[in-house]
Amino acid sequence: MIELVSESRCISCDKCVKVCPSNVFDSVPGAAPIVARKEDCQTCFLCEAYCPVDALFVAAEAHEDVQVDEATLIAQGLLGQYRRNLGWAKGSNPIEKLNELNELRERVGSPF
Amino acid sequence: MSKRLDAPGLELNAEVLVIGGGPAAAWAALAAAGQGAQVVVVDKGYVGTSGAYAASTSGAKILPPLAVLRDPVKFERYALGGQLAQHRWWDRLLDETFEHAPKVWAWGGYDTPNYSDGKGYYRGLQGSETMRILRAQLLKSGVKILDHSPALELLLDDSGAVAGARGFQRQEDRPWTVKAASTILASGGVAWLSKALGCNTNTGDALLQAVEAGAELSGMEFSAHYSPAPIHSSVTKSAFYRYATYTDKDGQELLNLSKNGHRSTSAIAKELLKGPVYCQLNINGAEKPDTQRMLRLMQPNFFAAFDKIGLNPFEERWRITLLLEGTVRGTGGIRIADDDCGTTVEGLYAAGDAASRELNCGGFTGGAGPNMTWAIGSANISGRAAAKRAKALGAGAFQRKVRAVGGVGLVAGREGAPTFDSAAVVKAVQDEVFPYDKNIFRSEGTLVDSLGKLAQLWETVKGTPAQGTAQELIRSREVAGLVAAARWSYFAGLERKETRGMHKRLDYPKLDPSQRHYLAVGGLDKLWTRPVPVAEEVVAEPVDFKKVYA
Repeated sequence: MIELVSESRCISCDKCVKVCPSNVFDSVPGAAPIVARKEDCQTCFLCEAYCPVDALFVAAEAHEDVQVDEATLIAQGLLGQYRRNLGWAKGSNPIEKLNELNELRERVGSPF
Repeated sequence: MSKRLDAPGLELNAEVLVIGGGPAAAWAALAAAGQGAQVVVVDKGYVGTSGAYAASTSGAKILPPLAVLRDPVKFERYALGGQLAQHRWWDRLLDETFEHAPKVWAWGGYDTPNYSDGKGYYRGLQGSETMRILRAQLLKSGVKILDHSPALELLLDDSGAVAGARGFQRQEDRPWTVKAASTILASGGVAWLSKALGCNTNTGDALLQAVEAGAELSGMEFSAHYSPAPIHSSVTKSAFYRYATYTDKDGQELLNLSKNGHRSTSAIAKELLKGPVYCQLNINGAEKPDTQRMLRLMQPNFFAAFDKIGLNPFEERWRITLLLEGTVRGTGGIRIADDDCGTTVEGLYAAGDAASRELNCGGFTGGAGPNMTWAIGSANISGRAAAKRAKALGAGAFQRKVRAVGGVGLVAGREGAPTFDSAAVVKAVQDEVFPYDKNIFRSEGTLVDSLGKLAQLWETVKGTPAQGTAQELIRSREVAGLVAAARWSYFAGLERKETRGMHKRLDYPKLDPSQRHYLAVGGLDKLWTRPVPVAEEVVAEPVDFKKVYA
């Protein structure tokens, strides 16, 4: 579930408020959104994918709360990792990811 | 009556109203707009992230009209689905998908795949990427989108035809009403808030709204689809389990959980009922770095479950569970009554998971390809038909006198009835539909017992719904959908006295050829079922099938 909205990174664009399919966030004027309904978080990682500044962390734990520490997450490269893996991060590109995938499919062979 | 819902709000007219926010909703809206219709899309979440597909990924079956390519697809799960699928429908859906699905590549700036090798194409872009592209295309096509605006009830005109819907804008805290010539329900199936990946927006809303308006459901007995997930997570991506070995808590390998690369859900469930089950991706080439990189690129979401906890699934074991995906990957839903993906109610169409997918999947599914093909196909068919109906009705469509027909979960069943506790009802429904020994392994005893408890829950949700906040208003209504969907599933499951597709009866362990029919199901207080014949004889599989199509 959503465990972190980084106040130092957040630019208050409210993109997460808009895109969360479960309406977990509430907008706060001039500040970072708050996680108002954490229990509704379905752990789909899509807010992370859309956050333009990698300010969010959705833990993989879908059914229980976990403690996270922003500095540790940054050190582990976990903030924004899912967005990078989708090719949605700045300087990345989903088309390049697809081309690499297709090249591997040719070479390795894929049942899919 | 609901003060919140009866307050002044947004009022719109639409030639075509599409309810939902996943690929079926998007494609239906694009198809209707493509016919020149003025279209409004309303969704509970955000069109782009809502529904199972945006959070996951799946490819449609994009195949040119060649028997050598299409027959293997039609027959792949024909027997597994109890021969309830229809080849004529497969052809219609594959035609639609072949024509439309590749447009996403062009709209998104991708090279369109080359089909000249004659192999066809099963792949898609990432779900999140596809939905981003579809949303942009909707806006470009002039479609009006209302995000965070769940439909709560349908509107009927004096003749009983559907004439739009009413719902609530939860971020604006105001109701909306859309009067529409045609309405398409594409708001997904039901997974009972299991947190299976992307499924929590799928609370059976469409099913309840359709039945209240007079429509029928079908295939609700085929609603026991579960997928494996790392036990801590939501990630029900199941394709990569073909690379998995299964072990018990002592590391002893558990055999026969996987057959020919396909996992057996019931075999996994049997082991899980005995004790913990662990997996590791270490067979069929998963030990090779190139394969690992390929899998990571294919499904970033699968690996999110592991990367975030610092576990390497190729080198370490992890504990699994099975999460219920219900009709999202099962096949039940609103019964399609004609070739336009119309329902049994005038003016109401259904597409995607909200509709019964038996027409191409029969009683078994699980693979994304057939499901996405259904979504794209049914959406394009219904979108065009809805636009045509709207043009025929003209402006008179908006002059009709309408009434809203939402009931349980929206209005109290009687004056002064106690307010029900939504969270408690959700838990109680889940206690009936989650356990493997109730839902996967069914028998008359367990079904009757669960139906008794669900009937009591139905009485509970006929109490007064909490509507103090927008969230409470919406959740109270969702809860009614969850209870109703569980009742239809088990009622149809009780009626189908055989084992067919994913419907397993311990007391009727064999397929009974005399029950090769669909089961229409419906009713609110009093449930009913009715057999509906399959409009196609059993199609014989070619002799030496594998050789012919190798």
